Amino acid sequence: MPSINVNGVEIEIDEDGFIVDPDQWNEDVAKYFAQVEGINELTDDHWKVINYLRDYYKQFQIAPMIRKLCKETGCSLKYIYELFPTGPAKGACKLAGLPKPTGCV
Amino acid sequence: MPKYKDMVQPVRATDEEMRHIHIDPVPDDEKCEKALQYLDEMRKKFRSFVLAMESCVKCGACAENCHTYLGTKDPNNIPTNRAELIRKIYKRYFTLEGRWFGKLVGAEDISLDIIEQWYSYFYQCSECRRCARACPFGIDTCEVTFVGRQILHWLGIVPKLHAHVGAAMERVGNHTNLPKPGIVDTLEFLSEEIMDEFGVEVPFPVDQPAEIMYIPSSADFLLNPYTLMGAGMFFTYIGASWTIPSTVTEAGNFGLLFDQMFTQRHNVTRLLDAAQKLGVKKIVWGECGHGWRAAKMYIPTLADRPVRWPITHLHDEIAYYIRTNQLKLDPAKNPKPVTLHDPCNYARACDLIENLRTVIRASVVDFREMTPNREWTFCCGGGSGILFDDPEMYQRRIQLSAKKAELVRATGVGANGDGILCAPCSICKAQLYPMVEEHKLGVEVKGLVDLLGRALVWK
Repeated sequence: MPSINVNGVEIEIDEDGFIVDPDQWNEDVAKYFAQVEGINELTDDHWKVINYLRDYYKQFQIAPMIRKLCKETGCSLKYIYELFPTGPAKGACKLAGLPKPTGCV
Repeated sequence: MPKYKDMVQPVRATDEEMRHIHIDPVPDDEKCEKALQYLDEMRKKFRSFVLAMESCVKCGACAENCHTYLGTKDPNNIPTNRAELIRKIYKRYFTLEGRWFGKLVGAEDISLDIIEQWYSYFYQCSECRRCARACPFGIDTCEVTFVGRQILHWLGIVPKLHAHVGAAMERVGNHTNLPKPGIVDTLEFLSEEIMDEFGVEVPFPVDQPAEIMYIPSSADFLLNPYTLMGAGMFFTYIGASWTIPSTVTEAGNFGLLFDQMFTQRHNVTRLLDAAQKLGVKKIVWGECGHGWRAAKMYIPTLADRPVRWPITHLHDEIAYYIRTNQLKLDPAKNPKPVTLHDPCNYARACDLIENLRTVIRASVVDFREMTPNREWTFCCGGGSGILFDDPEMYQRRIQLSAKKAELVRATGVGANGDGILCAPCSICKAQLYPMVEEHKLGVEVKGLVDLLGRALVWK
């Protein structure tokens, strides 16, 4: 299993680059993934989406419906794609340390 | 990765992930021997498979009927050639002429390379069965892919996506790992959304005693809000006593696609348990193509008990209510041009064809048929769970959807950039959402009950 090194801590990631253990997440991990995803700087809006995803995941062990994510953060889907070029599932969820969504998505 | 000797392959499950779905991967030095043993078992069990092995005359009628071949132009993706990858092994070990004359009659020794070839090509076939529709002998090449994928599964070779889905089905009863609190939260959110947008109160009962048990696709909870909303609005409109079982929030059954012997059966058992527990009278299926095939065509033989409940499709129900004038619909609420993508499994496996049209004609103003359609429909390119998103396989998905894109373009619905491509199946939706952008089709992808829900006129 591949891993990344963030501030001297080895963190396991899967083949798609998602972290394996969501508890190992911290803000520096998000910043590391931002670089990988080609995001220059994490703005307040990035953090709003990331924090919403993390809070929702903590409560429900699943990512929210995309429509709910948009509504609760006030970000349109188009804007979320601007923030996270690979989209809400593959981009935003990765930065937020959620597992990769599976199934017909 | 994921490439093996110039063949594309989906990222595969790790050994540990295979053990989650009850398979101890076979070590490389035993794979060939085991593969032959499994092949022998399968040929003795499935006459459909033997028919494909013995009867093909290589007329080539299947070639131009396969969207995978049309999109990739890889000769191994011609259905008869894809079947040949297993047929040459079958010949070598299970026919007289193959044993005696070997290569002279097209037989070949099994090797790890052959097994890797199976993995590459049986996961480019979407099991759509258009080749079967075209075959003058009635050979169903999908049955060959089924056998190939089942053997690969037993050897421990399954795409990560399929293995994750199998594990999630067993863990929570759906493909997306959605636990009950998440289900309830999403449904409450959708009730609010319906109130905001349509001004009607639509509750989504979960695990309530009811007459109808509705089985939605779990992808609807993440990606397809209007599909769930439309179903809820329909049931509320007709005054149904209905519920969604939290233990089976999944219309799909990926077991059909990689492991019919255990994974598929397990989900059937789970479904029947839920129906028994909730004391329902009928099971209604949501928008999912392969899942409807798995339900309608396989439950009767995979069930571990008598099935006391009629199992119908949501669109059969809706069409009945339309034909009997029990729904007031205003098509003007869906004014954009719409074309319909017939999901392969509805059209070629379940005879769910005309009812889709009954619903769409009553729900939209400007419906334009795609050609070819009905049982001659071309696959979206994602069929059988070819939804891999690593870079190589994603590129392949674009090729696999090229034929569909050509047909959508020919309808003209996207010409002004405001068309709707109606695709009443979760795999089709997941495939087409990005593909309509890749092919710049000018259409938005929607389910069918999405359009019906919007067209309902409330008292």
